[in-house]
Amino acid sequence: MTTKDFLLEIGSEELPSAPLDAARAELPRLLGSALDDAGLAHGEIRVVSSPRRLAALVSDVASATEAKTQVFRGPKVAQAYDADGNPTKAAMGFSRGKGVDVGALEVVEFKGEKHVAVTLGEPAREATELLGPIAEGVIAALSWPRSMRWGSTTERYCRPVRWIVCLFGDEVVDVRYANVVSGRRTWGHRVLAPGEHEVPDPASYLDVLEGAYVLDHDARAARIREGIAALEDELGLEVDTPASTFAEVVNLCEWPTVLAGRFDERFLEVPQEIICEAMLKHQRCFPAFNADGSLSRTFILVSNGDPAHNEAIVEGNERVVRARLDDAAFFFEEDLKASMEDWLESLAQVTFQEKLGTLRQKVARMERLAGEVARLAGEDDVTIAQAKRAAHLAKADLVSQAVVEFTSQQGVMGGHYARAAGEDEVVAQAVAEHYRPRYAGDELPGGVVGSAVAVADKLDTICGMFAIDEPPTGSKDPFAQRRGAIGVIRLLERMPNASLRALIDVALGLYQEQGLDFDRAEVARAVAEFFSGRLQTMAREEGAEADAVAAIAHTGVVDPAEFLSRVRALEAARAEAGELMDDLAQAFLRATHLADPALGTEVDLAALGEAERALYEATEAAEADVEAALADDRFSDALAALAALRGPIDRFFEDVLVMDHDPAVRRRRLVLLNRFAAPFAGVADFAALAKVS
Amino acid sequence: MGKASAPTFQEMIFALQRYWAKQGCAVMQPVDTEVGAGTFHTATTLRSLGPAPWAACYAQPCRRPTDGRYGENPNRLQHYYQFQVLMKPSPVNAQELYLGSLAEIGLDATAHDVRFVEDDWESPTLGAWGLGWEVWIDGMEVTQFTYFQQVGGIECAPVPVEITYGLERLAMYSQDVDSCFDVVWCRDPEGRELTYGDVFHENEREFSTYNFEVADVAALRQHFDDYENQCQACLDRGLPLVAYDCALKCSHAFNLLDARGALSQTERMNYILRVRSVAKAACVAWMEASETKAEVAK
Repeated sequence: MTTKDFLLEIGSEELPSAPLDAARAELPRLLGSALDDAGLAHGEIRVVSSPRRLAALVSDVASATEAKTQVFRGPKVAQAYDADGNPTKAAMGFSRGKGVDVGALEVVEFKGEKHVAVTLGEPAREATELLGPIAEGVIAALSWPRSMRWGSTTERYCRPVRWIVCLFGDEVVDVRYANVVSGRRTWGHRVLAPGEHEVPDPASYLDVLEGAYVLDHDARAARIREGIAALEDELGLEVDTPASTFAEVVNLCEWPTVLAGRFDERFLEVPQEIICEAMLKHQRCFPAFNADGSLSRTFILVSNGDPAHNEAIVEGNERVVRARLDDAAFFFEEDLKASMEDWLESLAQVTFQEKLGTLRQKVARMERLAGEVARLAGEDDVTIAQAKRAAHLAKADLVSQAVVEFTSQQGVMGGHYARAAGEDEVVAQAVAEHYRPRYAGDELPGGVVGSAVAVADKLDTICGMFAIDEPPTGSKDPFAQRRGAIGVIRLLERMPNASLRALIDVALGLYQEQGLDFDRAEVARAVAEFFSGRLQTMAREEGAEADAVAAIAHTGVVDPAEFLSRVRALEAARAEAGELMDDLAQAFLRATHLADPALGTEVDLAALGEAERALYEATEAAEADVEAALADDRFSDALAALAALRGPIDRFFEDVLVMDHDPAVRRRRLVLLNRFAAPFAGVADFAALAKVS
Repeated sequence: MGKASAPTFQEMIFALQRYWAKQGCAVMQPVDTEVGAGTFHTATTLRSLGPAPWAACYAQPCRRPTDGRYGENPNRLQHYYQFQVLMKPSPVNAQELYLGSLAEIGLDATAHDVRFVEDDWESPTLGAWGLGWEVWIDGMEVTQFTYFQQVGGIECAPVPVEITYGLERLAMYSQDVDSCFDVVWCRDPEGRELTYGDVFHENEREFSTYNFEVADVAALRQHFDDYENQCQACLDRGLPLVAYDCALKCSHAFNLLDARGALSQTERMNYILRVRSVAKAACVAWMEASETKAEVAK
């Protein structure tokens, strides 16, 4: 079978970066399975992309599909022909169904019987006739997050399609999409090689592109990295290239040139967070830092222009950055003239949530809740007062000009303003960090004051939303309650003494004081259950077994540190003594199945037999040990205490028939089993651990 | 003052008008009602709808009360100009035509770093959206380039392309000045310059004061209600063009209320929905009226 390389290039107006990256992953999947479905053998599929093109190069595509034959078995010969050898209705029906003359039936043997049969062939199909429809199907099937129409056509794509190159070897494959007809001409860089460039065959595609000043994605990324590294060396700086901005910069050029611009020294007095955000998010430039970690006046830009005009391009970018930074500096300086207390009062005009009131009201609740978090965590009065103060100031910057403009610097700017206003450094830092953790894996606030405010902020939102019966659903979580809950869990893990249930109750109480009407106990239960769900997910993500997580969850523990350390201890105990724990769980399950809680736990000591007495005594001892262990958070010891019951309960089940004929004996033994189950309750639900055998 | 070789503000407008006229656009004048963007002109909003081809361009003064800075910020104005081009159906070489227009206003695209940076456009008050870019020259956003998909809640078929130039930004760039008030508006035969600041600086100060401090909230709410009612009355009488004009008045009253800080978030959302519903109704009525006319013509 001869093979040739295949090229499909979809030329378009500039594709947006994130959808382009998604399509780079999707295109080879779509094309590969379309070729497979058509029966065209092929080699590697390589994606090539730039802002104006998405292309696939496929090596060694078969020039035709394999011819196929298939034998269809019909009725047995005995039923296919009558005594005279004439075909029966069965034979005629079969041959008609397969579209052949009844005279053309063959005979095959199957399991020792002779059957009539038909051999049908599917002829080989030429790749040249299959590839066009495959390409058209793939173009239409790319799943853009938002697609569009253009001109007078109705086909959709991410941006208007302007040309298509489709080659099988050196032959053009006919592809039509939205009035565009395929050919062998691609388009070069808008400025450096404008117009059409002929592609002789797929093998020369990348060379033709490079000759037309277009580099593929990875080559551009590499060239930009090299350019940045060279400037870092030359200038003695370290350039910050966050992944999201870098990915975008790579997809905004076809022929990158890395250049350095400078901004005025006076901007170094503006908080570097808004300077960096202005450069990264608004200008797609990278900030550069001095060896001592301070922000430098240099910024890095990646041009797609003609390198002959580098000087003018840098100058232009410097002007734009200057205007941006002027704005940022103006906002910051204006903000410094205002007072945080005034901002705080204007939060009374800003709705937090329609039913939950204004941001000013939220701040009032946060103050008290943050104080309570610090108090329950065991902090001293100074720290409690700092937590309240930081919560008081935490949201003020939301109405500052800098945050209205650079929203993602909320908190951070508040920290700067608090510091400038002479607040305690601890308070300023807590204001700056109280939105943390903002995403999975984000840092937590550095200190306990910031952590207390962060817990108060997030827990207040969660409790409020549950109080108005708007918990997060699969599709709706506008207040990011799930992320907030994970944040609270991570924060409380570091404050093991602050009881989550107690804090939920305080948070709900504050809403009631504000006049919100709801069933406090019921909502508290729902919030605790929500946290339990999050905890279970987190424990599972840590790698814990589902049954161990369920066993701890069933005890009703929701304090994060306790929950997670119990899961870990249980997992450790099972890893160390798996058989023992399994056996204990089975015994527990058997005991609870038999036991009748209605009978109580008052054991009639006088009548106990030997095995019964041994179990009773072991239970008494285990209960005392468990209690002592749980009292000082020695969860592994609690498990060890329960493990000591394994021998006595096994012996009990071996020696004693629980369901004795004598109702009094039976009753006594059932009460003993109730007693046996009692010390387990506070540790873990062992029934959940019993593997179904 | 700025580079003497660069076109003045008025020369830029002349040049763009001539250029787009050559591409087949009808040169229109601005709509004479307050609007927040050139898109609100009937020549864009209403003409984007329906099957008939359309190509027009015009300079449009825009009012965005919340952007006022009392004339103290060199980059922000509550009243500024957009140069707007609308072509339906969008031509295959729309981007090339646009790049060609830059040379006409003193910006040679081959000597700069010109990018098309993703920017999807949505107007909640017009019930409209489209996909496209903001165009950057050496990092500065100078133009919005959008393929309309829906206007007034109605699918656009064929699809128009809208090109919106920020005239002050472009002028600042090509004249190399750092404040829009220093942009040269025109020069007389003796070379004396009239600047943008001479024309509009006082206007910024006064209107910022009015928008933020003086505008009567109760009266604006009343205006809004009145124009909303008028819009309905016009729709009832089959006058979609007048109804649309009333919708624009509602939109401006809303913008002023917003600048006054008079609206809570919920209220703000309600006002946006009310503007959208009158704007949509006017668009639908205009579509129906033009379809009826087309039927009669057959």
